[in-house]
Formats: sequence, structure tokens, C-alpha cells
Amino acid sequence: MSKADRDLDTEIAAHLAEAVDDYVARGLDPEAARLAALRDFGGITQVKQVHREMRRPLFMSWLDFKLGGRMLVKFPGLTIVGGLAMAFAITVGIVIFQFAGLFLYPSLPLANGDRIVQLSLRDVAGNQQEPKALYDFVSWRDSLRTIDNLGAWRDSTRNLIVADGDARPAFVAEMSSSGFAIADGQPLMGRVLTPADEQPGAPAVAVIGHDVWQTRFGSDPNAIGRTVQLGDEHATIVGVMRKGFAFPVSHEMWVPMKTALLDQAPRSGPAIMIFGTLAEGHTFETAQAELTTHGRRAAQEQKSTHEHIEPRVSAYADMMSMDSPDDMTFMLLIYFFVGMLVVLICGNVGLLLFARAASRESDLIVRTALGASRGRIVSQLFAEALVLGGLAAIIGMVVAQLFLRNWGLPFLETNYGNLPFWWDLSLTPATVAAAILLTVLAATVAGVMPALKITRGMGDRLKQTTAGAGGLRFGGVWTVVIVAQVAVTVVFPFVVWFENTQLGRMQDFNPGFVANQFLAVQMERDVPPEGDAKSDAATLERNRRVAATFGELRNRVAELPGVVGVTFAETLPGGEYPERRIELGYDNAEAAGRAPEAPASFRFATVAETDTSYFDVLDAPIVAGRAFNAADAEPGAQVAIVDDGFVEHVLQGRNPIGQQVRFVRRGDPAGPSEWYSVVGLVGNLDVGAPYRKGPFAGFYLSGTPDRFDEVQMMIHVRGGDPMTVAPQVRGLAAAIDPSLRLVKIQRVHEINDGMLWVIRLWMSITLVMSSVALLLSLAGIYAVMAFVVARRTREIGVRVALGGSRRRILMTIFRRPLMQMGLGVLAGMSIIVAATIMFPYSDGPGAHEAGGLTAAAVMMQTGYAALMLGVCMLACVVPTRRALNIEPTVALRTE
Amino acid sequence: MVPDKSDVLYGSLGMLVLQTLAALGPLHGYRLARRIEQISDNQLTLNQGTLYPALLKLEQMEWIAAKWGESESGRRVKVYSLTKAGRRQLEQQESRWHRTTGIIDRFFKIPKEA
Repeated sequence: MSKADRDLDTEIAAHLAEAVDDYVARGLDPEAARLAALRDFGGITQVKQVHREMRRPLFMSWLDFKLGGRMLVKFPGLTIVGGLAMAFAITVGIVIFQFAGLFLYPSLPLANGDRIVQLSLRDVAGNQQEPKALYDFVSWRDSLRTIDNLGAWRDSTRNLIVADGDARPAFVAEMSSSGFAIADGQPLMGRVLTPADEQPGAPAVAVIGHDVWQTRFGSDPNAIGRTVQLGDEHATIVGVMRKGFAFPVSHEMWVPMKTALLDQAPRSGPAIMIFGTLAEGHTFETAQAELTTHGRRAAQEQKSTHEHIEPRVSAYADMMSMDSPDDMTFMLLIYFFVGMLVVLICGNVGLLLFARAASRESDLIVRTALGASRGRIVSQLFAEALVLGGLAAIIGMVVAQLFLRNWGLPFLETNYGNLPFWWDLSLTPATVAAAILLTVLAATVAGVMPALKITRGMGDRLKQTTAGAGGLRFGGVWTVVIVAQVAVTVVFPFVVWFENTQLGRMQDFNPGFVANQFLAVQMERDVPPEGDAKSDAATLERNRRVAATFGELRNRVAELPGVVGVTFAETLPGGEYPERRIELGYDNAEAAGRAPEAPASFRFATVAETDTSYFDVLDAPIVAGRAFNAADAEPGAQVAIVDDGFVEHVLQGRNPIGQQVRFVRRGDPAGPSEWYSVVGLVGNLDVGAPYRKGPFAGFYLSGTPDRFDEVQMMIHVRGGDPMTVAPQVRGLAAAIDPSLRLVKIQRVHEINDGMLWVIRLWMSITLVMSSVALLLSLAGIYAVMAFVVARRTREIGVRVALGGSRRRILMTIFRRPLMQMGLGVLAGMSIIVAATIMFPYSDGPGAHEAGGLTAAAVMMQTGYAALMLGVCMLACVVPTRRALNIEPTVALRTE
Repeated sequence: MVPDKSDVLYGSLGMLVLQTLAALGPLHGYRLARRIEQISDNQLTLNQGTLYPALLKLEQMEWIAAKWGESESGRRVKVYSLTKAGRRQLEQQESRWHRTTGIIDRFFKIPKEA
């Protein structure tokens, strides 16, 4: 009992005692006086109740929350279903907010991180970045007043070869020494780079990151002073950085940017990035103003190169952020959908809370009678929803944190590779604030909406002194909520089905050879530091050397035990081959017989560039014509081999041998390519990326690895795991050419594992979403039915008493939910059909043939809709049966 | 003959309380209830209990103030007194009341048609 209650008790007791005294003084005996005093006073309990009601604060009180907690225990089904649904909505909100934050509001976890800037050149004529900025960097370094610590860096990924001969690529930054000052770079051992290291003739030195020190040097305490090989060069380790240092982006090793490199003509030299810090007392605006002045002067002085160049300053972390209006619109769209999801889910929870509140309607009416205002009752129901929402928010935050840690980071790594050091997915205060906002939004939708609905016209119902029989109804809003949610429930399984199809296609992908016996080694060579200044002779010489390197590597690897063949290709089977538009030799003749602009039949080829030994090593027999020979690899040899898919889809069964094919590009001023003659036919090696569907026409060209854009060496290993030869291959490569980097070594049958993982992740997310939607759907429909039937108990009783047929009664009950379900299913199906029309399966050329729903998909979806309808009807059965079995007399008495 | 007792006019209890406190000074609950009945010459009966929510309301509006004190018989009681805001409120209510009754009076004074 509260103090105010005790005070009122004291006051009433004194009142009664005084009254008794009065009556006794007027001659009544004590017992009669007591009765008279009580009669004069009226209902004591009522007075106390009204008093208590009036003492409640106008908004929420602690009591409301306590009551909310009690409601959670009293209605466990609603707590579990509603709580889970809200937790899910909040989890989705947090995860998306956190991801969006990386791109929208990135910040550097460094002291003064918000004053670190990036300087860049924008070519406004070409509307693109101009990365060749060394000339401008030098001129800025000598003159800018608004920016300190100006420095530059460029990626210089090279093979790091340590003493034991182990060669692996390291992510190296060639960086000005000021980078260490900017990013709080303290060495764990030794020193960081200094301006002296950048001078001509200074000894070659390098600083290594903590991870490299641990993994490649075995945390050697004597690492300082050791000499390592970086590609073709040697360098002495002078420092080991502390854990976590990865400036400029995600680098693990640093070498000085030599001053010799800086001497460049305007807009020439290698691509670089420039950083600095805002000088004391300066802002982005003043820095931009100084740069703009600088840019205008340069535009006048170096008209030929700088007329359309604008220098820009931006926050450093914005390097990876989205700032174009399109991206912003995209993010806003995402926020909008999150908001919609939360509103939709909480609307459903609101439906459940409404049903719960409706069951307490008489209680609420009594409170209104005792003087509780509408606002009071609404805020009480809001508090109850807030308790549920708070519980959900806690669950949501825990789940979101687990999700981000276990799947979020790997997801980003799969999509972006090495992540910038400032990308951190642990929950930020901003995210927690957003979660609280979402919770309040959720509680508002789930609590206030039904409360407003239930308290509308409460006064009238009060006057009728009936407990609202027939007064309270589910209105149009709930119809919309149910319809929308049934629609969503129908759509989600389709998404799951679609993802599952893709997954199945990737898993069943038959590459046409024994992929699990092959090891793929992706190789890169260090770019020569001369940048783009190279003569034809130099290029020829370089290519000759590269060709020799690959040739030697092939021979040496082929001698390894277990290796039965080595070949090269530009793209791995199962990877993303380029698609190109083609023209056939007989097209012109054929076109003569057609309308000039009539669409030609399938005219796309999936182009694979391979070594001449490719089919031989893959054991893919040449079905007709001949295989590639050495002469075919020479530049200018215009021959090709096609696969069965090409014959089927492009040539429509014609004999491929001798066909003429050339590449065309719409709008290309250079015109079509030279003609290629088809010399051979090979069985399908499934050149199509396995997650795409549609006809693929394989078109093989032969080349040598030195001319490939990307070099994949494929090693056929018999007996055992092909990965076992990887260390030997590494050793051989480092011995033959230290600058040859083995970027990625993987088993060929596993190359799509990353993609599979992402698809599986999406599938799990969609599955959870569908389950939540379905669960809510059923709970919602059940609540509505139970409510409606309970409202109509009396009517049903009268109908039964009057001999109304059960079927007619059932029809009247089921009409509304059936209509809502029907509308929902219809809306969901429309979304699916619209989606399949707007986004056909594949963005490839096969889309026009493969797009649309298959009969099986339609059948499956219809079956699913029927199943859902059935399950929801089942949810209606219990309350309806209960109503039908009521004795008419009992029903009539329920007033 | 039993006097014709009227229930307290709906909504006017607060005004009666304020006026009683203004005229008689601070009072506790029972005495206040009795004074209202006595001033009306026992023509008004009041469910005395309903006085307490009314007092709470006036207190919440800060038109009256309450503090614990002693009754004439030595019991611990809450004593209510008018505040400045309550006095102003009472003046407003009084002039409004006179205006309203004046208007209604005029209707009762319409001469009957011959």
C-alpha cells in the first residue's frame, strides 16, 4: 500500500469517527451512529478507487510497466509470438543500420580522425577521378597552408619472401612517412619510416605489420634488421607496428615512397592517393577554398592538362562511403523498407495486443467510469507494448551483435576483400540509440494504434452500460494489416524457392571434367615501376620474359610427383566468363531474306581464352575438327573452337567447322573485330557461370598466359588432395621469378564456395523472415477469429436457437477472413508475377528465353497458397466450434 | 416534514468547497462536508465520500492546499485551506455563475401572454 493510500485511510477513518461523535452527541446510540456515518459517507471502496485513479500521473507510471510485465506472464503465447516478431524486426533494423553506417557515416577510430582528409583531383570534363596526381601533390606539399602532414601512398602488393623461401603476396603500401604520424602509428619494435628513408640512395627498408610479424616471422623478437625479399628487391626490416595499425586502408607492410618517384610531369606517373590533416584553426571549407584557388591557378598555368581539373578535399573515411545522390536514394530506400518492415510486423503484434485489450474491455470501461482519461488508458497500453518491445529490443540487440560478428564481417570480406581498418561492426552508441527509437516506434504501432481504436467511443459504451457487446469491431486498418501480411507471407517462400534454385544450380554444376582433381593458382606480376611510360620494344621484351617465366613454371610444376598436367586459362571453369555479341559469316546472306531490323536469332558467345593445351589437360575430347596447335596461339591467328552449346543455340545445329564468327559492339567506332574461323568442336565444359540460367554458347580462343588479363594456372593432380602440391608450387614460383605473386590458390571445385555461402546466408535470412511472417499471420488470424466469434456468440446462439443452418452460420463467420486471405494471396501473387517480369532470372543474354515462371513454380506457389489458406482456416475452427456448441440459452444470457 | 433535499448540482461541488473555505477559513474533510450541508440548510445532501476526490482535484489544480493538523476532538486530520490561485478561481466562477443565473432568470421573468 502506498503512502497516499495510507493517508487516505487515515483521513477517512477520522472523518467517520468525527461523524459518529456528532451523531452520538445528537443522541444516537454508538452502533446506530456508526451505521448513519457510513451511510452518509457512501461507498468507501469506490472513493478509494476513484482517488487512486485520480492520483495516477497523466502519462505513464511505474505501475503501468509493472502491469505490462504481469501481462507478459499472463499471456505467454502472445509474449512469445509478439516478442519474437518484434525482436526480429528490431534485429533487421539494427543490422541494416549498422551496415549502412559503414557507408553513410564512416569515422576513423583515431585521435583527430575527423580532421584527417583525403585530397583528390576531379576531371570535371570526363566526370571521373584523376588518380595521376603526383605533380599536384608536390606543388601542394610546398604551398598548402590549410593542410598539414601532407603525404601520398599507393598500393604496392608484392611477394614477400622470407628466409625459408616461403613466398606469399603481402599487401604493401608505398607511403610517405607522415602517414605514421597521422594515424598514431607507434612501432612495437624498431622504428617507423622517416623522410630520410625516402631520399635517393637511402638503403631499402620496410616496416611490417603485427600480423605479418606473427604469421611470417613467427613473432621473432629479432625480426628487426632481417633482410627480406619483396618481389625483385631486398629490404631490411626496421620496424614492427603495433596490432591494429593498417593505415592507409588495410595494409600489412610499408615501404618508403622514394622522392625520385615524385618528379613527374602534370597528369602522368602512377596513380596515387593523397592524405593530410586539417591544420590548426582550419576547416574543410577553408581547406577547400585554398585548394580551389590553387586549382584555378593551375588551370591557367597548365591549360593543356589542368583546364578541367578540380582539386577536392574530403573526409578520409569517405573514401569508401557513398556520397552520390543515387547511392543516398538507395540507402533511403533501404531505410524506408526497414521502417515498413517494422511497421508491418508491429502492426501485426498490434493486432494481437488489440485482441488482448479487447478481452479486458470491461476492465478498461470501469477505469473510464472511475475518471481515467482516454490519454491515460492509451498510455497504459503503450507502456505495456513498450515492456514487450523492450524485451524484444534486448533480444534483438544480442542477436544482431551475434549476427554481425559471425556473418556480417565474413559477408563484407566476401564482397569487398580486405576491409578498411575503420570498418567495425560492433554496436555503436548511435546504433543503440537507433534500436531504442525503433523500439519506441514498434511500441507505438503495436500499443497506441490498438489503444486508440479500443478507447474510441468508450464514453458511449459506458453510457450503454453493456460491456461493449458488438460495440467494438475490427476495422479497415486491421483488414489492411492482415492482407498486407498474407501477401508478404506468400512472397517470401517464392524468394526462398528462387534462392534455392540458384543454390541447386550451383551445387549441381557439372563442369564437364574432374574438377576435384584440379588446383587453380591465380598469378599476378608486379607492375614495373616505370608506370605507363613504355616503348613497344620494352613491352615486347617484357612479354618475352613473362612468357619464359610461365613456360618454365609450367615445366617445373609438371615434374612434381602426382601432377599429370598443367595448363593456363584466363577464367576458371565455373567463374564469370565475359559475354560478347557476335555476328556469323552467313548473317548477311540470311538477313537479305528478312526485314532489315528484324531481331537476329541468338547472337551471343561466352568467350574463354585458354592455353593451347587446355582441352588436353582437362581430358575434354575434341568431337570434330581439330584441337588448338602452337601456331594458333600466335597473335593474329584468328581461329576458335566452339562447344555443343554454341552449335545448338547459335548455329542451330549447323556444322561448326569452317564457320566465320566475329565480335561486334554496338556503338563501337572501331567497328567489328576480324573474322575468326571455327576449327574444332568440343563437348560442353559449361562455360556459363553456374548461378545463371540460360543457353550458353562457348567460344574458345587460344592464347598464351603472358597475354591474359588474369592468369589462372590449372594443375591436374591425381591421387589425393590437389592442395598438397601448393607449397611446392609456391617455392618453384618464388625461385623462378620473385615478382610472380600467387594471389589465390584454391581447389577448382571450390571456387564458388564464397558465393554459395552468401546465397545460403540469404536463404537462411529469408527462411527466418518467412517463418516469422507465417507465425504472425496465423497468430493474427487466430486472434481475429477468436475475437470476432466471441463478439458474435449471442448472435450465433440466436441463429442456432432459431434453427439457422450451421453451414449458413459458418459462411457468415468465415466470409471476412476468407476475403482477407484471398486478397492477400492475390496481392502476393501479383507481386511475384510483377517481380518475375521486371527482374528476369539472369542479366545475361539468356534472360529473354529463360525468364518468367515455370509451370512447376506456379504449381508450387498455388499449392503453398492453398496450404496457407487451409492452415488459417484451421485456426478459425476452434473458436467457431466453441461458438456453435454453445447452448442458445447460455448465449442469450451473455450480456 | 422532511425537507426537499437536492443532490449537489453536477460539477458545482468544487465551487461550493472553495466558497466554504473562503468564508469559514481552513477546515478538515468532515467539517467541510457538514458546513456545506448546514449552509444549504440541510437542503443539499452530499455523499460525503465524493468530497475526497473533489478535494484531490482542487489540490492538483493548486486552488487549495492541505496539511496535517488536529481536529477539535484531537484526531489527526488533513486541514484544507484556500490558496491565492483558488481565490482568483473562485472570483471567476462566481461572476460566471451570476451571469448564467441572470440569463436564466430573464427567461423566467418573461410575462405570460394574457
